[in-house]
Amino acid sequence: MGKGQPAYTDEEFVAAIRRDDDRALAQLYRLHFPMISHYVLQNSGTDDEAKDVYQEGVMVFYEKVRDGSLELSCQIKTYLYAVCRRLWLKRLTEKTRFSGRLDDHEPYLETGAEADLEVAEERDRQLGTMSQALERIGEPCRSLLEGFYLLDKSMQQLTAEFGYTNADNAKNQKYKCLVRLKKLFFSQYQEHEP
Amino acid sequence: MKTEADYFALFDAYRAGTLPADERAGLELRLAADADLARRLQEFEELTGTLTAYGRRLALRRKLHAIHADMEAEQAVRLTPLAKVAEEDERHERFATGQAPRPLLRISRTEEKLRAFWNSHRATMMVAASVAVMAVFTTLLGLEWWRASQRPSLYGYTVLRREVERIKQTQRSMNRTLNQIESAPEKSNPGKFSGTGFALTADGYLVTSYHVIQGADSLLIEGRDRQRLRAEPVFTDVAHDLAILQIKDKAFKGFGRLPYSFKRGQSDLGEKVYTLGYPREDLVFNDGSLSARSGFEGDTGFYQISIPVNPGNSGGPLLDDKGNLIGVISGRQMDVQSAAFATKSSYLMRLVDSLGSAGAGQPYNLPRSNQLTGTSRPQQIRKLQDYVFVVKVYE
Repeated sequence: MGKGQPAYTDEEFVAAIRRDDDRALAQLYRLHFPMISHYVLQNSGTDDEAKDVYQEGVMVFYEKVRDGSLELSCQIKTYLYAVCRRLWLKRLTEKTRFSGRLDDHEPYLETGAEADLEVAEERDRQLGTMSQALERIGEPCRSLLEGFYLLDKSMQQLTAEFGYTNADNAKNQKYKCLVRLKKLFFSQYQEHEP
Repeated sequence: MKTEADYFALFDAYRAGTLPADERAGLELRLAADADLARRLQEFEELTGTLTAYGRRLALRRKLHAIHADMEAEQAVRLTPLAKVAEEDERHERFATGQAPRPLLRISRTEEKLRAFWNSHRATMMVAASVAVMAVFTTLLGLEWWRASQRPSLYGYTVLRREVERIKQTQRSMNRTLNQIESAPEKSNPGKFSGTGFALTADGYLVTSYHVIQGADSLLIEGRDRQRLRAEPVFTDVAHDLAILQIKDKAFKGFGRLPYSFKRGQSDLGEKVYTLGYPREDLVFNDGSLSARSGFEGDTGFYQISIPVNPGNSGGPLLDDKGNLIGVISGRQMDVQSAAFATKSSYLMRLVDSLGSAGAGQPYNLPRSNQLTGTSRPQQIRKLQDYVFVVKVYE
């Protein structure tokens, strides 16, 4: 790993990520990437697929940590391995090229990854619907909402950017957009509800 | 009536905590009483929550991409200087020691691709390979089985032909084999062969097989008394595998009277015959019957006899029950049980006669009377043994 960087323990990693420490995240990312990369390549994957699967796995872990809902009963390494293994399995099934068992190096451990993944999948679906709703809402609502909620711009900034006469106008516009988004979002989201 | 946008503005302010205290209390009261309003607030919260989560997710994804790109760039940077340093080191080394450079463990792009290909298609390729192997073996076995099923009607014929083929080969290799036969007993003394010979006349003529003395520089005759006498070939008959030797040694005083006589005619089938010879250092007796009046491949110059002969027996005398010399042991057929061949004495006689009438040298005084007739076999052998010799050949 990088020279001169502090070596974290698992607890320190979790604490640092909670503090929004990007260096810790980067280091965690580098630390475990070779393992997952090796695993995916061993099981008929490519470099890009390994990257995707790993990033998805890290995201699950990261979001759990930020939620404060992570109950780690094992090492981060094992948790990531379990999550990525599960993700890769799913991808292989989707590709339908998967013909049987995976080449496992460690026995599959009870890491709680399964349950976490189900939650994450639900969340993915929700976020996917949101993304679609944003696609369909049209300008300038899309830019306005993205600016406020996604890019964390202040109302003043947005007022200037979109040429509103004052912040209240911009705010009103924002609320109107929100109403439209709400319709789009809930109509789609509920459609998919099982 | 408030529009939904107004409610949203209200909720937004409520969540942000910018709502004046009295309005806030009023809203909370209404929320507790009005389920519809509460649902609206919940929906608003879900919507904004999802939006923020989506934003965070996008940010995180960007972050991870950046980290990954960083990592890859770092690796690339780390790899290049290392390779350069290694190369430089090597160059230094080469100049310093004058040795060839060690091969670098560097993986080329093509190999990388090949490795990736192998990794992803390994299982498939292995299955393909095993299928190919099985197909090959099945084909071979099938062909073999098919050929075998075609064969039965020809089976006897084939075998017969093979037999004939083998006999032909043996014929060709016979002379070769016989040469090797002589070498066997004298293995400890390389470059020296031995066979058997016997007296033709009392004054120093001997008979042996041609192949025994073939290629000889000098010949030594050694009898039972271990006395060695120098001899020279006088005449050879390659076709009948015969050689006549003459002892050219000053110490030689003559054999004395020979106890056996030579048969000019043909012997009969089933006649009991025996031979004496030197397949090893001692004189060895063997007997059997005359089994055919022709030799190898119907060669009428030979008898086939059922005597087990061994390397070194070549050139030995073949006698019948009455003590008549009827042949000279020549060889055997390797693939047939105890089938040995001996040159007929009639051919030996014809050769001697032709030599005598040609007047080349002294006449041959062949023994005329037979002292062995009517005596028992041990007695015959006792008389005979002094006239059978080892012929030692030096090349």
